[in-house]
Amino acid sequence: MPRPVKRALPLFALCAAVLALGACGSSNNDSGAGATVDNGAGGQRGGTLTLLTSQDIQSLDPGITYGSLDLNLLSSAVRTLYAYAPDNPTDIQPDLAASPPQVSPDGKTLTVRIRSGVRFGPPVNREVTSRDVKYAIERGFNPNVANPYASTYYGDVVGAARATGGPIAGIKTPDDQTIVFELTRPTASLLAQATVLPLSAPVPPEYAKPFDAKSPSTYGNHLVSSGPYMIPADRDGDVLGNGYVPGRSLRLVRNPNWSAATDDRPAYLNEVDFRIGGSTTVSGRQVLAGDGLVLGDSPTPPLVKKAYQTARDQIFFSPGAGSRYAALNTAIPPFDDANLRKAVAAALDREQMRRIRGGKIVGDIASHFLYPGVLGFEEAGGLEGTGVDFLANPEGDRALAERYMRAAGYADGRYTGDETLQVVGLAGAPDSNDAQILDQTLQDLGFKTQLKLVDVSVMYGRFCGVPRARVHVCPNLGWIRDFADPQTVLNPAFNGEFIFPENNPNWPQLNDPAINRAMARAELTVGDQARADAWGAIDRQVTATGAAIPWLYDRQPNVFSADVRCVPELWNQGHCDLAYTSLK
Amino acid sequence: MAAYVLRRVLWGLVLLVLVSLLTFVVFYVLPSADPAQLRAGRNASPATLAQIRENLGLDRPMTAQYWTFLSQLAFHANLGYSYFSQASVGSLLVDRLPATISLTLGAIVIWVLVAVPLGVVAATRRGTWVDKLTTGGALLGISAPVYWLGLVALYLFADDIGIWPLFPGAGSYVPFTDDPWQWFTSLILPWIVLASTFTAVYARLLRGNMIEVLSEDYVRTARAKGLSERRVVWRHGLRAAVTPLVTLAGLDIGLLLGGAVLTEAVFGIPGIGQLNYQAIVHADYPLIQGTVLLAACFVIVANIFVDVAYAYLDPRVRTS
Amino acid sequence: MSAGADVALCVEDLRVGFDTRDGLVQAVDGISYAVAPGRTLGIVGESGSGKTVAAMTAMGLTRGLRTRVSGRVLLDGEDLLAASPARLQELRGDAIAMVFQDPLSALHPLLRVGDQIEEAVRAHRGGASRAVARARALELLELVAIPNAAQRIGAYPHELSGGMRQRAMIAMALANEPRVLIADEPTTALDVTVQAQILALLRRLRDELGMAMVLITHDLGVVAETADEIAVMYAGRIVEQAPAAELFAHPQHPYTWGLLRSVPRLDAPVGAELVPIPGRPPSLIDPPSGCRFHPRCPYVRERHRTVDPALEPLAARPEHGVACLLPEAERQAIWSGLTKGASAR
Repeated sequence: MPRPVKRALPLFALCAAVLALGACGSSNNDSGAGATVDNGAGGQRGGTLTLLTSQDIQSLDPGITYGSLDLNLLSSAVRTLYAYAPDNPTDIQPDLAASPPQVSPDGKTLTVRIRSGVRFGPPVNREVTSRDVKYAIERGFNPNVANPYASTYYGDVVGAARATGGPIAGIKTPDDQTIVFELTRPTASLLAQATVLPLSAPVPPEYAKPFDAKSPSTYGNHLVSSGPYMIPADRDGDVLGNGYVPGRSLRLVRNPNWSAATDDRPAYLNEVDFRIGGSTTVSGRQVLAGDGLVLGDSPTPPLVKKAYQTARDQIFFSPGAGSRYAALNTAIPPFDDANLRKAVAAALDREQMRRIRGGKIVGDIASHFLYPGVLGFEEAGGLEGTGVDFLANPEGDRALAERYMRAAGYADGRYTGDETLQVVGLAGAPDSNDAQILDQTLQDLGFKTQLKLVDVSVMYGRFCGVPRARVHVCPNLGWIRDFADPQTVLNPAFNGEFIFPENNPNWPQLNDPAINRAMARAELTVGDQARADAWGAIDRQVTATGAAIPWLYDRQPNVFSADVRCVPELWNQGHCDLAYTSLK
Repeated sequence: MAAYVLRRVLWGLVLLVLVSLLTFVVFYVLPSADPAQLRAGRNASPATLAQIRENLGLDRPMTAQYWTFLSQLAFHANLGYSYFSQASVGSLLVDRLPATISLTLGAIVIWVLVAVPLGVVAATRRGTWVDKLTTGGALLGISAPVYWLGLVALYLFADDIGIWPLFPGAGSYVPFTDDPWQWFTSLILPWIVLASTFTAVYARLLRGNMIEVLSEDYVRTARAKGLSERRVVWRHGLRAAVTPLVTLAGLDIGLLLGGAVLTEAVFGIPGIGQLNYQAIVHADYPLIQGTVLLAACFVIVANIFVDVAYAYLDPRVRTS
Repeated sequence: MSAGADVALCVEDLRVGFDTRDGLVQAVDGISYAVAPGRTLGIVGESGSGKTVAAMTAMGLTRGLRTRVSGRVLLDGEDLLAASPARLQELRGDAIAMVFQDPLSALHPLLRVGDQIEEAVRAHRGGASRAVARARALELLELVAIPNAAQRIGAYPHELSGGMRQRAMIAMALANEPRVLIADEPTTALDVTVQAQILALLRRLRDELGMAMVLITHDLGVVAETADEIAVMYAGRIVEQAPAAELFAHPQHPYTWGLLRSVPRLDAPVGAELVPIPGRPPSLIDPPSGCRFHPRCPYVRERHRTVDPALEPLAARPEHGVACLLPEAERQAIWSGLTKGASAR
């Protein structure tokens, strides 16, 4: 499921100077300045990479976690059915699977063949079978695991609706190397894409069941590897105090049972050390100046500037890192009026929003909600946009804004109503700066506003994600996709079915029956291209409502030491892929 | 005296219960992250969210949750399990405590060794350059934010990012038992940075107290007795001037043992302060409760100790 | 007064001024006196007369950047004012000692009484062991008649009564058998009965140890019994000086008259009023012209406003000195009149 744009924020972000990093190449899938996309071929074997991160990983359990750093770690320790190559974030590649997914013509059956010769690491040590994948998915429905996206993507599997951790009839394993998913609706294409998420990584049932019986499950601290690397553990597989000290450190070493013949990953490094804690400001400097270091946090703006100016090949701007947009609450006045929404969109200077974050280098101006790397992006209009007039000019169009205000009934082009807008944004530069720009834009249109800047969890948890809170504008929202299928970006964010009283993902509370119907149909569309077309059209429709104002297609900067040949995961915020990266 | 200490300890326990209750209430009432939401992610279905809540025991009524916590602590000495990492809170605290203690004790040594002579000399040589330097330096020490000072120290002296690489950089802390030399060198900059504010405050305080004390009648008597100036200043003057500082130091030590968050963050020292901060970020309530109680414990013990010490230092207090 | 071979302390034309923001405060403006061993000089005056400053200066306790001192203070012939800090330290507490006014603030509150006395001993008997010093401290406490000395030696000052404290301070001052003891208002902080005891103690010690004693007070009653000779100070000067009996019998200076008449007496008639001296002590930065007492003197003449009288001996009794421009005969007449009940004109 889509994650909000929330890379580990620096511990104490210093007041960021306004950066004005000059122009440089900015085509959509090209990283522009800095280090380039890499497929990892020809790297040197050996060495230890150290990853500095101020925030701990959320969980080692592939059935629970999916934060970007966690995905980065898990992608080198466990193998999902399908995965993305670091340099191709759009097309899934077989990983644990031996061949591309077979989707039946009616879209209700998905068949995957699994490679032979893939073995679990210690202490399980045996070959991986299809039953391990079956159990991995079934345990997602166990309340002790409570996987957040299991019901979303695997919910159509026969028997999943009533599953509570026991066997699911719709997942069949005719033999050790074959797994078949039978679905109640034709969503097999989506399911194939969804297997890139960690839930499909095999979990040995005989080993894991005792841990899954505890509430909450303790399997995470007893993770068994199926990939090139593992976390050192004791004889019972307990990583706590061995390879993992919560809040302090984590080590990845080679999995002795991994066989290079079964894997496309080169796995050059001998070891990866996570150093957890400390301050991003200091860690960033250490990474730039040191050897064998990689920064796991989002670098602070001053660091980005310093790296870009003095060590350009030590910074990589990963495209397709997510989209940023401002949501307008369509459920309550005044933004239940589409003309007012379009007026705000027309008035907003999106170039300024980008400039305050560092300029062209940090991404492209967004004009709709699917972003580069996601299927359907081009179908929705690509970088040129969908053609709506209120998003045509990235610097904003005051005259057009006023015309929309007049269309809404305000003859002077300025709001004269009673509502005081509640605007809730993020504290800390540069997000707070963006919130203030939007706040100012609203005031220029005559709105009275009350701006609150809060911590990211509070913003989602108590304000923007809670309809009861009656927040009118949320400037600092955004999405990171779960995988390349456009449904993960558009469906929860704009489908009327997804308006919840709390943890609400449909922040604008858009509930347009035509759009809802179109989404319901597109959900069941089979075939990647057909889905791209269907969702691309929906993207255009959603954009036209003005319910949210897209303003940036993010490029996530990553920094690493000079002697690190980082192979960025374009599908995952540009983190250096631990199984492809090498030391020079 | 024994009865007095016992009374204070019992009252301290009551205070700890109150602190834990306050933490509990603050956590649930004030706008902050919801641990279930953090784990679930932004658009878990309501059903999944409810399941995670149940997992973490968050769906039970608040009084039941609080009672479970209290009884676990009182009868089983169990502080619970971290939501985030499922490690026991007690083990996490024990793991982090040595680093915080190392940091605190070293800083104390430095600030006492520097502040006392500075304060005395500044008082006895009022108006001279030593006095002006102390007062000016004190102003800098008090105003400079610890975090900034730490960054500056690293940018100047860290061996990985500093201009004059003299000391190990951030994140190089190791426990004493692993490598005493590295433990020591990695703590030098943090000690100095942490001590700087306190040194400044205490030097100024001592200077003020000393100036006052040196104009007291009993100091005049000491001089009239023909005692050496050194004895007059240190044995008669300092002895009287230092008492308030000792009580203040006791309180400051108690507070620091609860974790010097900023210093630990800048230098990447895995202490209680950082643990507390990460717990808050993750809305890891059991861990927050654990670190807060630990800090409260230290403060309470420090207070008791300080009161006893004060009675020992100033005999006039004993009779009351 | 003459400086003889048997004079323990001799003060010659001592002047002490303090530089303040408002100007130079001339606290002591040329006083001279001498005290022989075994004799007591009482210095009497109101607050601001300079009596305490003179004593402190003798001990070297007023040395500082803003203090201007001139004159000589001879202790057995050695000028204390010219002594080096090291020499001064040797002499203080040893050859010359001082007892202060309020023993509660003059004793260190955080150190035991016994320790403070020991300290005084060990500072000057170089090499005295703790045991020896301890024994001496005990001896001293018994000397000053503190009951239960063996227990009291371990007490803190606040644990003793006012009288005990003062005795302890006296013990401390006597630790090294000083030649000269200066007692600055030793009884002011005590109640009357204790006062008498302390004064008796001081008299006894003076006799036993043969010290020269300077007793500073504002209270004529105190010096009446204890002093052999009395000097009356006003505005930094000695205005009258005489043997005690002589002073009380034949006071010469109008200020002295004022002091005597303002002392309550048991043998005064019931209903008789006390006669205060009108006015206030003068400014020491800008003293009155001529006779310093003239603004408050009931017998002032025109000449008194311009001419400053010097301290001069009486013709008939040279041991009695007075600084007044009134003729002697006239003074005697006025005093007889006053003692017979006539009020001051």
